Amino acid sequence: MRAWLTALALMAALVLSSALPAAAQTGGVVRPPVVPSTAPSTPPSPAAKPGAPRTITWEDLTPRDWDPMKDLRGLDFGILQDSDPRAQAMLRRLREVWDNAPTNPRMDGQLVRLPGFVVPLEEGKDGLLEFLLVPYFGACIHTPPPPANQIVHVLPRSAAKFRSMETVWVSGTMRTVRTDSLMGVASYRLEATTVEAYTEKPR
Amino acid sequence: MLELRGLRFSWPGAAAPTLAIDELTLAAGRTVFLHGPSGCGKSTLLGLLAGVLLPSSGQVSLLGRSWAGLRASRRDAFRADHVGYIFQQFNLLPYLSVLDNVRLPCRFSRRRAERATARGEEGGAERLLERVGLPASLWARPAAQLSVGQQQRVAAARALIGAPELVIADEPTSALDADRRDAFMDLLLGECAAAGSTLIFVSHDQRLAARFSQQLSLPAINRPAVAAGAA
Amino acid sequence: MKPLLALAARSAWHRRGTLALVSLSIALATLLLLSLERLRQDVRTSFVQSVSGTDLIVGARASPVQLMLYAVFRIGGATSNLRMDSLRAVASHRAVAWMVPLSLGDSHRGFPVLGTTPEYFERFRYGQGKPLVLAQGQRFAGTLDGLYEAVIGAEVAAGLGYGLGQRIVLSHGSGGLPGAEHADKPFGVVGVLARTGTPVDRTVHVSLQAIEAIHLDWVGGAPMPGLRIAPEQARKFDLEPKQVTAALIGLKSRVAVFAVQRHVNSFEGEPLMAVLPGVALDELWQLVGLGERALLAMSVLVAVVSLAGLVATVLAGLGERRRELAVLRAVGAGPRHVLALLALEGTLVTLLGALLGAAAAALAVVAAAPWVQATLGITLGGGAPTAVQWALWAAVVAAGILASLVPGWRAYRLSLADGLSPRS
Repeated sequence: MRAWLTALALMAALVLSSALPAAAQTGGVVRPPVVPSTAPSTPPSPAAKPGAPRTITWEDLTPRDWDPMKDLRGLDFGILQDSDPRAQAMLRRLREVWDNAPTNPRMDGQLVRLPGFVVPLEEGKDGLLEFLLVPYFGACIHTPPPPANQIVHVLPRSAAKFRSMETVWVSGTMRTVRTDSLMGVASYRLEATTVEAYTEKPR
Repeated sequence: MLELRGLRFSWPGAAAPTLAIDELTLAAGRTVFLHGPSGCGKSTLLGLLAGVLLPSSGQVSLLGRSWAGLRASRRDAFRADHVGYIFQQFNLLPYLSVLDNVRLPCRFSRRRAERATARGEEGGAERLLERVGLPASLWARPAAQLSVGQQQRVAAARALIGAPELVIADEPTSALDADRRDAFMDLLLGECAAAGSTLIFVSHDQRLAARFSQQLSLPAINRPAVAAGAA
Repeated sequence: MKPLLALAARSAWHRRGTLALVSLSIALATLLLLSLERLRQDVRTSFVQSVSGTDLIVGARASPVQLMLYAVFRIGGATSNLRMDSLRAVASHRAVAWMVPLSLGDSHRGFPVLGTTPEYFERFRYGQGKPLVLAQGQRFAGTLDGLYEAVIGAEVAAGLGYGLGQRIVLSHGSGGLPGAEHADKPFGVVGVLARTGTPVDRTVHVSLQAIEAIHLDWVGGAPMPGLRIAPEQARKFDLEPKQVTAALIGLKSRVAVFAVQRHVNSFEGEPLMAVLPGVALDELWQLVGLGERALLAMSVLVAVVSLAGLVATVLAGLGERRRELAVLRAVGAGPRHVLALLALEGTLVTLLGALLGAAAAALAVVAAAPWVQATLGITLGGGAPTAVQWALWAAVVAAGILASLVPGWRAYRLSLADGLSPRS
């Protein structure tokens, strides 16, 4: 339950903190301790040493100049009731925008290290052969899924023994992949050299 | 060869010391008949002589080495090297063959193993078994299948293999009938003489005493009351 | 050490009457531990191998685990169906690359019948991307001309002795009653699939239209009295399926899986559910995990009990061995040799039992494999012992060594106290 609320709170913070001054009136939105959490204004951490993966955050996967609320600016959330159909419509439009969230072109080819939750795709005898890495718990059935640029398709070099929703550090080369032209959108793929269990202290 | 000096021994929890012997010396090659009534501490003394028990005070030395001066593991090794022991009965491990029983000390003492093979051709055990008069057909049998008399003879062979310097026999003939007893005595004394081993023979049967070069009465040399009084 | 080992072996052999029982119980414990672990591992692998390359499975909104079980493993049944037009609507999402509908419910002599499209044979993958291969014949046509064609899995062919051209009759539901058969519309086997080691082997595949055809004159699970539609006439009717049980979906990009899943879940025309196979499997293992742990705990308990029997047996025999220990002291063994001897005896008994148990486990798996394959479609026992099996076996032996130290220690104390003159 708490994870569900945490996820929603994070999304709300992402949306509200990026544009609307009115939303700021909701008071200091407390940053919940979601796994890879830092304030959005933190610049990406510098490389530890040449050749070593650079630890990045999920915010780094979003281009700096992307504004999801561009079309919806001007709406005052305060006046909307819970089941107001305008809220539903707006939510649907927001989802469409998120489904087409663009990738950050500067990430292509970078050697990075990113923490997240595992969503299994292909499993072999010795472990996972393909999985998705997502930034928060519950991104499968119940809670609203993350935007397209917050999902990384990971191909580990050797089978990774992890279960659904376990937290891991993934290191490898990030690529932006142009999917079918019908989609018109690129997504992230990571060829992972290592997948290891997540511990609190970043190395 | 064997020296006792100022020996005092008490069993834990006993009020008075069981043994108090001021001095006892035994030369090499002697045959000693140790006698005394039941319960006077003969077995205890044997335990001290063999280094299985340690004195409460005083010193027991074999071949110039004090038992107490050795670590427990070294004591066991020293005993394996230099002492042969014969019990009154149940001398043998029932699950080993006769031959393996005789060779048992050689498993624990390389010195005796070497001496066993050095004395005559390979297989000092076979030679000894012949000497004690055990037919070869029985050698491979499990020890449990032998009669008491035969077992005692095998025990003698085991005690003598590798020619240990000290042989201790704790009432070995008490379970034998008269005929067997005499034959056993002959062979034991003969073998000890041949090997040059010192023999300490414990018994309450005075009739056997004459065959030994030295007779010791334990109550005579044991002065526990005096020692208790002096202490 | 070596002389002690030989002594311990002889000593244990001398007592083989009682020790054999102890050894047997240790063997039983080892058998339980190892074969349960193998079973667990192989069932898991089998399940994991059963579906590959499918991004989403769509069914009526119910339990994700249940959907996986009946759509992929043909275990259990669906609670309700979904309409074909809803399926087409959600499959029109631009991220969807292909969609294969599945219709379940009928059976043939205990083997489930799957109604699907010929595209199934192209799209379905198992065991990390392996496609379905026809050992004999060809796929069913999926057209009205070849309406009553069936493709059977390897286990169906082997188990029932079917070949190409075999006439088969499908039963409604799980069959069993004579009245439940679609006897008026027999099928002909046109293809036999190569063995996959998955539930595909146990399945009879027919076209969706064929399923419609055989149910034309049925209503609510029973034939309509007085109405008989002959097989050739069936094709005159509209045989396009209106309802199916589930569907497999493949996407153009795997990253779009959440978006499509949400699209299906929030479809307004009908309560639908889309499931990621990997995630649903993990849910299944969580559910099953409790039972697995209970079985493991029970097996460990059996092992503990048998080792306790070892300790008790050797301890009980120590009383009458005190003279024997005195003899050993007399020939130069120390109390620590006595401890080592007793411990070695116990270790040898444990080792024997563990080896016996391991061999029995391997045999049991080999013996049970054909039956399990035929009944559940799960492949057992292929390959060397797993790391976990080695660990369990080593744990049993290690526990036996530790347990043997108990009588060893007791013998040590006895030997120290008794010296050369045991009280007994």
